[in-house]
Amino acid sequence: MGMSSEGGAGGGHSNEINVTPMIDVLLVLLIIFMMIIPLSRKTIDTQLPDPNPQVQSANDPSNQIVLSVLADGKYKINADEVDRAGLAEKLHSVYDQRPDKIIFVKGDSTVTYGDVVFGMDQARGAGVKVIGITPAPKDGQ
Amino acid sequence: MGMAASQGSVSSNPNVTPMIDVMLVLLIIFMITIPQLNAGFQATPPQGQNLKPHPEEDSDQVLGIDADGNYWFNKALIRQEDLEQLTKNIFTPDREDKILYVKAHKDLSYDKVLKALDLVAKGGVSVAALISEQTPGTESLVESDRLFESGGGN
Repeated sequence: MGMSSEGGAGGGHSNEINVTPMIDVLLVLLIIFMMIIPLSRKTIDTQLPDPNPQVQSANDPSNQIVLSVLADGKYKINADEVDRAGLAEKLHSVYDQRPDKIIFVKGDSTVTYGDVVFGMDQARGAGVKVIGITPAPKDGQ
Repeated sequence: MGMAASQGSVSSNPNVTPMIDVMLVLLIIFMITIPQLNAGFQATPPQGQNLKPHPEEDSDQVLGIDADGNYWFNKALIRQEDLEQLTKNIFTPDREDKILYVKAHKDLSYDKVLKALDLVAKGGVSVAALISEQTPGTESLVESDRLFESGGGN
C-alpha cells in the first residue's frame, strides 16, 4: 500500500541503524562522569595526638617546629612572627635545609578553622610531609 | 545547483529526537544527583592549594561539622556526646585504616574542630584528613599530589 509511492528499497533509503542519538547520549554520560571523577576528595592529612601519651611532652626534642596560628591573622613559627603573605616564604626557608619534614600546628582559641587550614596548606607547599595537631588544652591549664 | 535535491521527500525540519534524548538523560541524572548532594549535611570547606587527592571509597568515614557546629557522621546528625563512642565502634583496634575524613565549615572556630578531633582521637582515629577545596586555577606544589592526579587511572 504505502510502499508503492516510496519506491521500496530502491531509492535513497538506508537500512542502517541511525547511531547518532546513541552517540549523543553516550557523550553526555561521558562528560558527566568526567565531571564527577575529579570530585574525589582533596584533603590535608593530619596526625592526631596520641590520646594516652606515655611520656609527658616536657622532654620533647627542642628542634621541633610549631606553627601557631594567632588571633589577628598572623602566624608564628616557633618564636618568629610572620604575616599571612610571608608565611610560605618563611616556611620554605625553614624547611629547605631540614631533613625532617614535620610540623606541629597549634591554633589560638579564637582563630577560624579556615585560617588553620591555610597554615597547613602553606606548610605542605613548603615540603612538609607530616602535619601534627597539638592536643586541645585541658581545662584548668 | 544543489537546489534540485530539495524537491523530493527530503524534509528541512531539524530532527529533534537526539536533542530530546540528551535532555532527558541530563534531566534524569540531575534528578538523581541533586537530592543526594543536598541531603542533610552542608558545609563550605576551606580552600587550599596543596591538597592531597583521595579517591572516594565505600569504607570511608566522614565526620561533618556544619556552620552551626552540629556534628554529622556519614551524613546523619549525631550528638556530640555520641561521637567518641561512634568512632570507637568503627575504628576498632583491628581496623586497618585509622583515617577519618573531616569536612568542617571554614568559618568555624578552630576550637570547635579541635574538640571534635580530640574526641575522635580518643575513639581510635590516628589520621584526620581535613577535606578542603582546591582553589580554582591552582595546582598543588607537592609533586606526589600531581602524580597521583594525572596518573590516577593507571
